[in-house]
Amino acid sequence: MKHQQLTEELQERALLYAAGALDEQEHAEYSRHLAEDDCAVCKAEALESEAAAVSMAMLLPQQTPSASVKRQLMARVGVRDEPRRTSFGWTAWFGWAAAAAAAVLAVVLLNWNSGLREEVQSLNARVAELESQVGEQQTRLAVLMDPATRTVNLAGLGSTPQARGRIYWNEPARQWQVSVIDLPAVPADRTYELWFVPAAGNPVRAEIFNTDANGSAMFTLPVPPQIGVLKAAAVTIEPAGGSDLPTTTAFNLLGTME
Amino acid sequence: MAAKDSGALEAFYDRYHRLAFTMVLRIVRIRQDAEDVLSDVFWQAWQQASRYDASRGKPIAWLLTIARTRAIDAVRSGSRRATDTEFDNTTAVQPAERGNDPFVLAGLQRAVRQCLEKLAEPQRVALEMAYFEGMSQTEIAKALNQPLGTMKDRIRSGMMHLRKCLKPYEAPL
Repeated sequence: MKHQQLTEELQERALLYAAGALDEQEHAEYSRHLAEDDCAVCKAEALESEAAAVSMAMLLPQQTPSASVKRQLMARVGVRDEPRRTSFGWTAWFGWAAAAAAAVLAVVLLNWNSGLREEVQSLNARVAELESQVGEQQTRLAVLMDPATRTVNLAGLGSTPQARGRIYWNEPARQWQVSVIDLPAVPADRTYELWFVPAAGNPVRAEIFNTDANGSAMFTLPVPPQIGVLKAAAVTIEPAGGSDLPTTTAFNLLGTME
Repeated sequence: MAAKDSGALEAFYDRYHRLAFTMVLRIVRIRQDAEDVLSDVFWQAWQQASRYDASRGKPIAWLLTIARTRAIDAVRSGSRRATDTEFDNTTAVQPAERGNDPFVLAGLQRAVRQCLEKLAEPQRVALEMAYFEGMSQTEIAKALNQPLGTMKDRIRSGMMHLRKCLKPYEAPL
């Protein structure tokens, strides 16, 4: 059904559709309407709303995938990085001795070529790995350089007074980058658990982790939009797998939001 | 791309892969899973390029819509979504977004940021839960223990604000 003019109801539907908030059946029906009913009124409204919704992605900190994604994609569409073939332009015939020599040479060159190919593949894999690592390091560095990032220091308490930690909190992006040092690793049946401590209500599970042999850990995590105002971050030791609420008041790390 | 020119696909990928990956990783949260989805996103774009209708928006908006849909499908179909995230932070606009002037992009980014910052917190939360978490208005209302009408109004008014605020920039994407 084509609509002749925009109503508040139609506008609301377009806005909710673009935000991805329509319920499943409403979404299916509206998608069908846009695709099949040739309704210029709703198409224009949905288009403008979608452009606004999509623009939210511009605020996300940009991420870089590994180079292998592009290689796999191009291979999927039939574009491959074929290794250069070695051409043997033997056209003359020098008798059995020459043929035998050529055969030996061919085997040697093929082996050499095969070895080179494996080496190239290995190097390509290494390059992709390094590219990925560099991308991750660049994004971590950008967090530290971002004026919007604030720092929350975590102090060791209880059985781990020597432990220290730091949270780099990018509020606009709702991200925590957490770094912990001098916190001894816990055995396999236990885990460290980081908690969001809201200004009101119970602590909320943020992340479980263990430290390495040096007592260090580094990870990033999202701050859920519904978490509200935070007054602190805390780390406790919990049973493996973590807990929905702290089972102890013995904090190993604690930091308050100033 | 509609003519099945792989060079066009490569150029399209080079230009938009970071933005699409950013969107996918925000939703899927696991880098490896996000890379799998990203590959499927561009594959779908390649397959459906002939059906792309320029009157329905710019290519990047079309691509990001595919990216969002596939990422949410991946999460709903049971792909692992970790409690931790591999979504790293940077607010820098990457100069490697070839074809887009980084200064223009940075300006647009500032505009979008300012528009979003003017949103009331409840509106922004509702919008983010819908758009990036793939939750419907009913699910959001339930999660936040709010009446459905209230939630619908928050999303509607939030989106309307964004539209009006971004109007001078003629839909950056």
